[in-house]
Amino acid sequence: MPAAGSPSDDAILVVDDIVVRYETAEGPITAVDDVSFKVRPGEFLSVIGPSGCGKSTLFNVIGGLLSHHQGVVSVAGETISGPHQSIGMVFQEESTFPWRTVIDNVAFPLELVGMARAKRAERAHYFIALVGLAGFENRYPGELSGGMRQRVSLARTLASEPKILLMDEPFAALDEQTRLLLGDKVLQIQQQLKQTTLLITHNITEAVQMSDRILVMTYRPGKTKRIVDIDLPRPRTSEVVSSVAFGRYVAEIWSDLREEASRGMQDEESYVLHHDGTAS
Amino acid sequence: MAETGRLTRAAAGPALSPVTLLRAAIILSALAVWELLSHSGWLYRDVVPSLLSILRALIALLTSPSYYFNLGVTAAEIATALAIGGLSGVAVGILLGANRFLSKAFESYIYYLGPTPKIIFFPVMIMWFGVGPESKVALGTLSCFFPVALSVAAGMRGIDKVLIRVGESFRAGPWQMVVKIYLPAMRHPIINGIRLGLGVALIGTLLAETKLSNKGIGFLIINAYSTFDMPRMYALLIVLFVLAIGANALVGRLGGLDSIKRI
Repeated sequence: MPAAGSPSDDAILVVDDIVVRYETAEGPITAVDDVSFKVRPGEFLSVIGPSGCGKSTLFNVIGGLLSHHQGVVSVAGETISGPHQSIGMVFQEESTFPWRTVIDNVAFPLELVGMARAKRAERAHYFIALVGLAGFENRYPGELSGGMRQRVSLARTLASEPKILLMDEPFAALDEQTRLLLGDKVLQIQQQLKQTTLLITHNITEAVQMSDRILVMTYRPGKTKRIVDIDLPRPRTSEVVSSVAFGRYVAEIWSDLREEASRGMQDEESYVLHHDGTAS
Repeated sequence: MAETGRLTRAAAGPALSPVTLLRAAIILSALAVWELLSHSGWLYRDVVPSLLSILRALIALLTSPSYYFNLGVTAAEIATALAIGGLSGVAVGILLGANRFLSKAFESYIYYLGPTPKIIFFPVMIMWFGVGPESKVALGTLSCFFPVALSVAAGMRGIDKVLIRVGESFRAGPWQMVVKIYLPAMRHPIINGIRLGLGVALIGTLLAETKLSNKGIGFLIINAYSTFDMPRMYALLIVLFVLAIGANALVGRLGGLDSIKRI
């Protein structure tokens, strides 16, 4: 098993030999190649890689939104085919429903399963308070900042009480300060709920700050380059970024990523050159 | 200059702005010219009836039960046309917006039939549905369907894809997707389509009534015209004008209410 160092028996999420190929005008592209790993209950695992390494593809495969792949994803021993109730997704893009208030947004997954109104409201209130938005229940997303809206999305996903929280660069669209503070919030919630979390990101600081382990992916085709154990004390906050050990991890992962990212850059440059500079 | 003048006026308190005064002046002078023409004898007698006779006809109209009966007929025709044309337009729009194949196959027909004046189909409607309100409803429906379908199809394609993925990730069923995501996400194009649809349903229905009918406001108008009851005809036109403004304002209000907070 490439996912070395992880005890296999108690894994809650098993990703096994995932391969995803796309047909394009230039021929087939392998986006994800032979990626395997396991996530233990309560663990925070990050998947990091340069843009174009297929990490968003991997996100969609694990979330069950993409089905033309080889390999198996299983949750608590059950192979998934399509979106699974044990996996809660948080998307990179703005994904709150603008026509619903904060509380109705958060109650959305509960509404789908037909939970009674009173119970739904109670649970939504709990998760809204958890992400620090108590008092904003009756506001519309249009009245909130980007960081607050992303917290609404997080609360909505948490309200469905997934076994695994799956996030695709949830802070990518936010400014650096908001990102750090929101990272703190996520860490605090994750530690409080002992929430098993899988974070897809390209941000090294973010990954080291939060993770127990980090899986580094290569540039196209996306393969597992390395899995790094992050041995920093918990509970953590964003203050951990100033420690020496933190800096060492960041440097280590950056040296891995740098190779891949520069390979990606060269690839894109040559693509643009060969396509008369019209490609973006 | 005019802007500053208005600003200081507005600041000073509620007063008649130059714009309001000008508007009032235009209406008053138009009425004066009208009245002058009606007494001049330059035009054929009664083509321009005096304001007083129009007012008298208006009062007579508004107090006659037959007016309310015919108004009801027309209103019911338009409402029915809007309901059938609007609902089928929404349904077809959703299908076209959701299915690339269907949209490629059918949308160009809708696109080209859309701006065609539907009144040219009126003879066919008469043959199919008769002279009564049914053929008017049919024409109104036909008019209303196209703008609604096109607007909804465009709205469907404009839905933020991530919202659909959110629904899928929470395992919403097809019906839940439609009711809880597609329809609310398309509320603006739907309201806009219905606003356009109401306008053309109104035109289609009334146009059909003036062509050939036995009931409705359009029938009253053409009836007044053919019996050369000019004051009555003008009174009917005034009433119709006011009703059309009212209907438009109502639907506009519907869109306005929605856009306050729920961007």
